[in-house]
Amino acid sequence: MSPIIPVGPYHPALEEPYKIELDCDGEAVRNAHITVGFNFRAIEWLAERKNYTQDLALVERVCGICSNVHTLTFSRALEALAGIEVPERAKYIRVIVHEAERLHSHLLWAGIAAEVIGFQTLFMTCFALREKVMDLLEAVSGNRVNYAMNKPGGVTRDIVDPGMVAATARDIHAAMAKDIIPVFTTDPTVRARCAGVGVLTRDDALAWGALGPVARASGLSQDLRRAAPYEIYDRLDFEVPVRPEGDVLARIVVRALEIVESCRIIEQAVEGMPAGPTEVGDFIPIPAGEACARIEGPRGEVFYYIASDGSDVPVRVRIRTPTFQNMPTVALMVKEQTLADVPLIQASIDPCYSCTDR
Amino acid sequence: MEPDAILEELAVAGPWDVRGDGRGVEAPGLDVRAMARLMLDIEARWVTLTVTPAPDDGFRLLFHWDLDGSLLTISTEVPGARAMSIADIWPAADWAEREARDYYAIEFEGRDDVPALMLRPEDEPGLFSRTAELGRNEDPADAARTDGAAS
Repeated sequence: MSPIIPVGPYHPALEEPYKIELDCDGEAVRNAHITVGFNFRAIEWLAERKNYTQDLALVERVCGICSNVHTLTFSRALEALAGIEVPERAKYIRVIVHEAERLHSHLLWAGIAAEVIGFQTLFMTCFALREKVMDLLEAVSGNRVNYAMNKPGGVTRDIVDPGMVAATARDIHAAMAKDIIPVFTTDPTVRARCAGVGVLTRDDALAWGALGPVARASGLSQDLRRAAPYEIYDRLDFEVPVRPEGDVLARIVVRALEIVESCRIIEQAVEGMPAGPTEVGDFIPIPAGEACARIEGPRGEVFYYIASDGSDVPVRVRIRTPTFQNMPTVALMVKEQTLADVPLIQASIDPCYSCTDR
Repeated sequence: MEPDAILEELAVAGPWDVRGDGRGVEAPGLDVRAMARLMLDIEARWVTLTVTPAPDDGFRLLFHWDLDGSLLTISTEVPGARAMSIADIWPAADWAEREARDYYAIEFEGRDDVPALMLRPEDEPGLFSRTAELGRNEDPADAARTDGAAS
């Protein structure tokens, strides 16, 4: 009889709860069953009982890492409902903070991946770089976790020192090119640990709805910043890294290259940011109707649907986060892999259970 | 495939409601499995399923797809709480169907079972439906329990 090995809800690679039960034949994983919901907070339910101003603070708590993307998507859905055009300067500020959040999320993940691989020096290097991004976000917003930057119709704060923002992006860009990308792409330890491990094929990625870097590491090229540009992305010069291999190494490389592209985007946004207002006003009536909004978050597409009856409380709020789609693909990735590789494989999707459970 | 050709293929009268966030259409009596197969054939991407209560005790199902970067939302109403599953055609829909079971007790035909996703196996499905009248200061977790124990 094959042993079934339960891992979690508390597990070795990440500090969030989920459970994976592994059906093993010796060291080989034959099947996997995933259980989530340990962090279920019924945020959609709560959002349908609070007014839009309260909901803005609520949705920022969906995730402790990509908190900004939730207020941005929520705000954009309300702007679509109300027919509001955001001032130009606010669009630039939104993109700068959006990309800074991607930087800190990807660097956090890169550090954790390095630690799981067993590469402590690289872990320290990644976290030292991430600290620069956290300092930047703190300087811009006053906060290190929930930035409270977005609101329907604009942003809550201006960027008063854009030179500091650009300098930080240049520093990170240089460090990525000099230290981190060469290690992640050429170091024999990383390659031995990650190449050919945890493969997700292109067909499976599409059928299971994989998103973001996980999908792009399996050959699916879509990035909403390019495919359905929002804010000012249609005016910016950036690449969308795509790899065909579908393994852990491909997911590492895609994220590492995306860090460089985020730095380039921030530098361009700072350079092109016009003077002007940062919001359209404090009070925006939301008419009856429904709207969707999608944003390319650090882990992939974040989707919101909002239905309004014209009051200040939404009738329905639907939140679909990227890990909700990516997590089931782990069951495919771990099949026929060794038990020892499971922590690395599940970490390679950069999972967020807080997002998933909502 | 052009969006209008999708409507023609699915025998949906349409037309699309073109909005800033994409296109939406109401499709009464939609054959959701035919829609799922068509979306697979044209390499659309699954986005998600949104369920909302309908006025007459049924539910409105909104299927969101991405076609070359454009968001397509095809909506249909189902009487009661029964709908056809598409999880065998689109494994991506599995968790969304399980979540619809958790929140609204939707029964999806055509799959062996619809296990709880966010709720625990012993919890009664339909948490959002059963707690629809609760106010913002009440805890829906209390209604999730069938043993009467408060959280």
